[in-house]
Amino acid sequence: MPVSQYLANIKDTVQSAWEGMTVTFSYLFRRPMTVQYAGPEKAREKHELVQDTLPSRYRGFLEVDLAICTACNACERACPINVIAIEIEKDPANPKLRVMTRFDIDEGKCMFCGLCVEPCPTGSIQHTREFEGTQRTLSNMVLRFVDPAKPAPPYKVAKGATAFPRAVLGSITRPLVKAWDSPPPPLPIESAEEAMAHAAKKAH
Amino acid sequence: MALDQIFITRKFGPNAEQEMILNMGPQHPSTHGVLNFIVHADGEVMEKAVPEVGYLHRSLEKIGEMVSYAGFMPYSDRVDYLAAMFANEGWALAVEKLLGLEVPPRGQYLRAISCELNRIASHLIALGSTAMDIGAVTPFPYALRERESINDLIEALCGARLTYNYHRIGGVAYDVPPDWTPLCRAWLDHFEKVLDEFDRLISTNEIFLKRLAGLAVIPAAMAIDYGLSGPNLRASGVDFDLRKAHPYGAYPDFQFKAPIGRAYAGLSRGGKVGDCYDRYYCRVLECRESATIVRQALDKLPDGDFINPKAPKKAKPPAGETQSRVESVRGEMAYYVVSDGSERAYRLRVRTGSFTAMGIIEEVSKGLMIADLVALIASLDVVAPEIDR
Amino acid sequence: MQETLDRLIREVLHEDPQVWAGSWVVYAAALLAVGFGLTVFGALVAGLTSWWERRIAARMQSRIGPNRVGPQGTLQFLADALKLIVKEDLVPPESDQMLFRIAPYFVMTGFALTFVVLPFGYHLSATRMNVGLFYLIAVTALVVVGIMLSGWASNSKWALFGGMRAAAQVVSYEIPGGMLALVPILMAGSLDLHEIIRAQGGFPWDWFVFQTPWGFIAFFLFFATQLAEGNRTPFDLPEAESELVAGYMTEYSGIRFGYYFLAEWGNLWVMSAVISTLFLGGWQVPFVSAETLAGWEAAGTVPVAFYGVSTAVFVTKVVVLMNVIIWVRWTLPRIRVDQMMSVCWKYLVPIGMGLVLLAALTEVLSFQLFGDAAKGPAPLGTPRGALHLAFFAVAGAVPTVLFFRKIFRNIRLTGDRIDLTNW
Repeated sequence: MPVSQYLANIKDTVQSAWEGMTVTFSYLFRRPMTVQYAGPEKAREKHELVQDTLPSRYRGFLEVDLAICTACNACERACPINVIAIEIEKDPANPKLRVMTRFDIDEGKCMFCGLCVEPCPTGSIQHTREFEGTQRTLSNMVLRFVDPAKPAPPYKVAKGATAFPRAVLGSITRPLVKAWDSPPPPLPIESAEEAMAHAAKKAH
Repeated sequence: MALDQIFITRKFGPNAEQEMILNMGPQHPSTHGVLNFIVHADGEVMEKAVPEVGYLHRSLEKIGEMVSYAGFMPYSDRVDYLAAMFANEGWALAVEKLLGLEVPPRGQYLRAISCELNRIASHLIALGSTAMDIGAVTPFPYALRERESINDLIEALCGARLTYNYHRIGGVAYDVPPDWTPLCRAWLDHFEKVLDEFDRLISTNEIFLKRLAGLAVIPAAMAIDYGLSGPNLRASGVDFDLRKAHPYGAYPDFQFKAPIGRAYAGLSRGGKVGDCYDRYYCRVLECRESATIVRQALDKLPDGDFINPKAPKKAKPPAGETQSRVESVRGEMAYYVVSDGSERAYRLRVRTGSFTAMGIIEEVSKGLMIADLVALIASLDVVAPEIDR
Repeated sequence: MQETLDRLIREVLHEDPQVWAGSWVVYAAALLAVGFGLTVFGALVAGLTSWWERRIAARMQSRIGPNRVGPQGTLQFLADALKLIVKEDLVPPESDQMLFRIAPYFVMTGFALTFVVLPFGYHLSATRMNVGLFYLIAVTALVVVGIMLSGWASNSKWALFGGMRAAAQVVSYEIPGGMLALVPILMAGSLDLHEIIRAQGGFPWDWFVFQTPWGFIAFFLFFATQLAEGNRTPFDLPEAESELVAGYMTEYSGIRFGYYFLAEWGNLWVMSAVISTLFLGGWQVPFVSAETLAGWEAAGTVPVAFYGVSTAVFVTKVVVLMNVIIWVRWTLPRIRVDQMMSVCWKYLVPIGMGLVLLAALTEVLSFQLFGDAAKGPAPLGTPRGALHLAFFAVAGAVPTVLFFRKIFRNIRLTGDRIDLTNW
């Protein structure tokens, strides 16, 4: 190694280390990029704040406004991983009408792709800006939008309607998200025949 | 021979008793996900490092044959989680080809904008993790900080930060949100300055240069033989960029360069065309080029539909086969689709850049040191899910 | 220490311990108390440094850092230590059980023994050895025994790599380290750490680093060798995380793992104390000249405040140096094994040899020129003092100004601004 190269090595090392060290030192005088996230003790009150920073297109938990749901099953068909389960039965009170007895979304399985939102004719199913729903039990992640005691009738779209009266985004999903340590729902105990019938019905 | 010896001989070769076999990964801090290398070492010097793939195999190609054409779009995000836009675009292009569907100009521009932003984001990870594998931790948070800003932009654009699912068959899912363009421009201005600072901090650092210069040189012929593509191929001095060689989408409208390797580390430091530093520095330069592309696209953004209104709700292409190629971050990403006329693909095959890059490691790693293997993996910028799919 | 203790007893109790029947009990108790105190001090320093390093590193990386446990996160190290103590102490079944278990204690012993001679302030050190520096270099070599043992006993290839790298590195860097330490030794004419400090003065231009160019260069090179011996970046090859998982401590868990970290962060103090003793004037207080101090000592009226002030000065210097070491770690990349060797043998050793020769020549010349005035700190009025001041201005003051200008330029260049609101 020639002497000039030897000296150049030393000079380059010193100079570049100097350059780099001035860069890192200068960050001591700047405001950090990260922000203090609220701790567990403040999670509730700061929760709203974090959500406000999210863009309106944020794809958080799904929400269905059953008041304007037409029960068209488009979202169930669009979902690539069968996260949405809809069951429509005849209304026992008025056999000519149909009612939704089940509209479940398994947020634990959802990949938040947004494919179900696009085919919805009324904008009933939407992504909210909710994202905090840690659960001790995975089955608690299933959001049940229909109360089995009160089946929901489908929404009739008025001719030529372009806007639909949708509830405030998030107001339906937020109460459905359970506390993180809430007990799991009871397992549905069904007989083998019932299960078979269920599966056959699904297959159709 | 004892049973375990037979096993060792079968698995690691006849010299297994003489050399040190080191299982690097799949739980090693610098194997970028779950890669596994069986390192045949003689002390610190490796005889070779044999990559073992398959630890992140999720049978995405088979899944593509089970779900509808539109339903595979979110799965394509998972092919390469750092550059999901390109996987989206490749899939959309393939299905559009099958359907014979046109993408309106605004959709094409939005695709280019989103893809180039994603390219910067992905390269930032590559640059930061190269520095971190060399031992400098600070550049990594700096790179991630800029990537977070891109994530914010993309989140405002499509609602997700990692698995975008932004492109659709026939266009894109959403138009740009209001006030998004000035934000994007402001960030681009900021980013170029930060990239200068990044260069001052790490790219020009003598220790960093000395670690990467002349290391694991891949000559042009060898790169072509092994089917390398993307920045890894260009760093070897081959000027091949799909965006220029086979332009697709809106790319013919933009002026940009495809940086090729020129021994950036400097000949006095032993730099050669196609060494690790070239692969690293080509990515730095590509970040700048992508920024200019985004600027041009924002300037020229045409009006009109962002998705073809004739795009079918349920894609049912006629029977046939097709292939789409996009210049992804990690090289050429190609989708080969066979349609039998039904709602689902009959056969789907994804060709990715990381897989070929992984293949060259065994050849290049001969005679390197263990610390160099880490640098080599980082400089090739392989991403585990893209290898195994 | 015995003398100090005797004097203390004579002065406070007005009794002569020499005539006591069981005076050795008193000595042993005092010995134990001092040993315990120093070990606790080392552990506390290591713990607080771990927290401080994480905070500083976070700032340099545009983050905030640990700030939850205690005020500003200061008690984080207690939480970490508690976690490590409670964790299971795993010993791999295929390891060499006994060696695996005792290896951390070698490291701890090597680290704790350095406190025997380390000065803390005027007249403050456990013992005063006339071969203090020699002793220091000898006991720090014990650390590498522990590291090699752990590397070997773990029966893991990563740990073995780490152990071998550590052995090669520490043993190699002892040579330039010792050689560069010769430069201040030549200038001071003593191996006693307190004597080396007393050969310097309170002002920066009286320090060995700014007295001659040789001292200046030797300071930086000695700093580098100390980094290498303490396994700090850019010489952290033995535990190189991205290459060797965690190097020699890959297989350790629980408090045994904690011992390595304790020794590593505690070593920061040791390194900084040695460097500031050899080159940065140690506990020398500005405006208290050697004559004043000698006058006080002759009259037996050293003010109690001087003990405190000198300790504060020393601790300040050590803390600043520790910050510099942290700052280097979070800036520079790691070098490769062969480069580590070539840096040692091709750069540090020959340059160190040259520096020793030049320093010796300068001393001889200085004696020829200035006679007896060539020893110790020189007043500004004398030609030697003026020379030192001039060199300090060139090598110390100007780079500092340039440094801060460059920092503000860096902030401006990225369109950022100075903002200390979130400290």
